[in-house]
Amino acid sequence: MTAAIEANQLRKTFPARRGEPIEAVAGISFSVAPGERLAYIGPNGAGKSTSIKMLTGILHPTAGDARVLGIVPWRGRRELAARIGTLFGQRSQLWFQLTPRQTYRLLARIYRIPAAEQDARIAELGELLDAGNLFDQPVRGLSLGQRMRCELVASMLHQPEVLFLDEPTIGLDLVAKARFRDLIVRINEERGTTILLTSHDVSDIEQVARRVIVINHGRLIYDDRVSRMRRALMGTKMVDVRFEQPPDTVEVDGARLVKLTGSGAKLEVDTAERPIRSVLDDLLDRYQVVDISVSDPPLEEIVSHIYARPL
Amino acid sequence: MSAYLGGWQVGFLRTIRSPGDLSVRVGFFAIILLVMSALWSAAVASNGGSIEGYTRAALLWYVFAAQVAVLGVRPRSVEEIGDEIGSGAVAVQMLRPVSVVGMRMSLELGEACARLIVAFAAGALLTWLFAGPPPSLPALALAVPAVLLGCAANIASQHAFGGVAFWLIDAKSSWFFYQKLVFLPGGMLIPLDLLPRGLELISLALPFATMAYVPGRIASGHPDPLLLLWQVAWLAVLTAMAAAVFAAGERRLQVTGG
Repeated sequence: MTAAIEANQLRKTFPARRGEPIEAVAGISFSVAPGERLAYIGPNGAGKSTSIKMLTGILHPTAGDARVLGIVPWRGRRELAARIGTLFGQRSQLWFQLTPRQTYRLLARIYRIPAAEQDARIAELGELLDAGNLFDQPVRGLSLGQRMRCELVASMLHQPEVLFLDEPTIGLDLVAKARFRDLIVRINEERGTTILLTSHDVSDIEQVARRVIVINHGRLIYDDRVSRMRRALMGTKMVDVRFEQPPDTVEVDGARLVKLTGSGAKLEVDTAERPIRSVLDDLLDRYQVVDISVSDPPLEEIVSHIYARPL
Repeated sequence: MSAYLGGWQVGFLRTIRSPGDLSVRVGFFAIILLVMSALWSAAVASNGGSIEGYTRAALLWYVFAAQVAVLGVRPRSVEEIGDEIGSGAVAVQMLRPVSVVGMRMSLELGEACARLIVAFAAGALLTWLFAGPPPSLPALALAVPAVLLGCAANIASQHAFGGVAFWLIDAKSSWFFYQKLVFLPGGMLIPLDLLPRGLELISLALPFATMAYVPGRIASGHPDPLLLLWQVAWLAVLTAMAAAVFAAGERRLQVTGG
């Protein structure tokens, strides 16, 4: 089976105005099969966005080779653009003075979607992404979560074979994030669209992707199934607690106190040692808790775990 | 072609949905006409009723068409293009299977057409009130395509200038320089015929004269179709230049981060 995405020793160096050139991507090789859901992650400045820009043909690499759907992206950018979809969390493709439907009509002409099919496709995506009721409202009046759903419709209108999502959940609240992740999975399952998702939110990886590639300083440092990564590297959870009275210390079996500041504390729980639920039960029984939240460890911590692994 | 026509329609729609911007432009235009009317009245009166063959009425109809042609275009397009390139926002436009510069120009031309309809109608009415009837009705009719071609040449030229940001990153200096070129050698401030001979010849050799001077010259009572041909020729050259600058620039785009 031909790979949907193939990168071979892909490298990008930016010239610096002063000092040494910046090596954003330092020779990355990987391949993505059609229909895969890949998380392409790394801390800020790791080279994720630069990689995506090369794979979509916006940037020319300094060295190396890549093919997306059999096309060299930077040589056949426009040809490739007709077959891929892109969504950049920090860049809008909707016109703020218009309604999403008006933008979709222009995109339909850009992608040469037959007039007879346009309305059906817009309605179908509206239903799939639960966004049809937003299409006739001015974009400037939509919330960020609503706008991102409309952006996703814009990216999917021409039925792309590969969807590149660059930090699509950035700035979304927890509910909107969860909903957006479900939509991406649904698109992949119902249409077989290959997904390449970049994020530095660990939850995006767990809930969307089946495979994960981690890059740092422009180099590929990890490539495995998400389930294996979860077992090997994501065995901890962070618990933030706020107490009614500032405690002298916080002691709970299976939890390590990371920080104690006045009436707040941050604990790290090794879920292999003790389930998170029983740690929370202990905390609630033993202390006067005002607020409590559980989160994944930051990506930087996972990266440091990768470097700390025995070779 | 359908995509670019769609871009034109979006530009047109976008502008008529921003009536505030249109009102400000027409209001500004009325003030300019008022000031110019007083200025040229005094100048013509002290010069025996005409300057280089321009009567007071001809000069005010010149100001009308030259101003309308320039007001139709986004005033800071060069700067906006430069910002989009510098910030990397142009990347989103590069991810569509159409020409970036072609789509941008279609959108801006759609916007310009919406502005021109309002500015031409309101401006012609105001000028008629200030200066009386146009020196020639056929000339006024020919000024319509001249104004449109002037706008199109201006848009193409701004893209060629703005595209310099692919190399310079900061195109603010080119915006400042560009504005002055349309203002003086473009004939927006004063008909080129009134400039010293040497400066007039230099200005006529530059493309900026097609953006303000030609519409103004035609509306002032000189319905010469050759002037339109001159505009078409420069429009073709400027469009080719803009396309070449973007094609070369897109290949060397350096944008980091998300």
